[in-house]
Amino acid sequence: MDGDNSTTDTSQLSMTGGEYMASGHYVLQSQDGEYDGEENMNDHDDSGIKENFREQDIYLPIANVARIMKNAVPQTGKIAKDAKECVQECVSEFISFITSEASERCHQEKRKTINGEDILFAMSTLGFDMYVEPLKLYLQKFREAMKGEKGIPGVSSVGDSLGDDLTDDSFSNPMPAGIITADGQQQNVMVYTTSYQQIPNVQQIQFS
Amino acid sequence: MKMSQNTPDKDEDQTSTSQKTISLPISRVRLIMKSSPDVNCINQDALFLTTKATELFVQHLAVSSYNNRAKQETKSLSYSDLANTAEENDTFQFLTDILPKKILAGDYLKSLEQLQEDDADF
Repeated sequence: MDGDNSTTDTSQLSMTGGEYMASGHYVLQSQDGEYDGEENMNDHDDSGIKENFREQDIYLPIANVARIMKNAVPQTGKIAKDAKECVQECVSEFISFITSEASERCHQEKRKTINGEDILFAMSTLGFDMYVEPLKLYLQKFREAMKGEKGIPGVSSVGDSLGDDLTDDSFSNPMPAGIITADGQQQNVMVYTTSYQQIPNVQQIQFS
Repeated sequence: MKMSQNTPDKDEDQTSTSQKTISLPISRVRLIMKSSPDVNCINQDALFLTTKATELFVQHLAVSSYNNRAKQETKSLSYSDLANTAEENDTFQFLTDILPKKILAGDYLKSLEQLQEDDADF
């Protein structure tokens, strides 16, 4: 981790074997991830192991996180820098927390893709059920917005609409051939079109 | 891969509680989700919901901690406010490991000695 987070680096302060683990008040934590009163739903020690494998410390940009925090607290409120950094880490923890719960359910049901339902269920299970209803609403609005932007994908035959524009008349008169003389004086590049009958539903392509 | 904590984001919309848009980079959220073991595919809805939920989470944590802050007069949210909230609030219990209460080394050593003495009494 960057910055002055040395005080939160548990490896520097923990005793071997975790013999002196205080009851969750201080920095110490035992290696096997024993938690005091936590409602951890995982049956395996992943969370404890994850604490030691911090090479994947991926965070959301601090500017975004800070902005959301700032908008949430009263106007006159301030947020300490280490508080912002801390929430940044909490966010990654939250995402991992939800994801691993959702992923586990997926595996149990022999599915490979985590879907929206899995996420909502995970939130409900992990004590975030107050988010579920608002999230469903947001999802609905998001879907509506996406539909509006993309438009309905065109499954109907394209040729029909084009057929209206291109009448048979356009192709009945062959255009005069361009004259290209050997000496290059007069060079006309003309459009060559074929004069065969327009085939319905097939767009006539002009090469020019 | 950007691991920096201070990467400013330019893409996203300003309003965090907007109904249609979200103010967190979805690709980064996906990256974090993928770093969980045994995660294969994440569908679009799941990604959106997680990103939006994360926004709600930040707001929730910030407000709870702010209201619960130790120094009411300063109007400033500090690290220890967050640590206290994690410990006291059931919803945020899962954060206690990454939000340890900071303790001065000297005080820690003193309490260690105290524990040793207690053990010796038995």
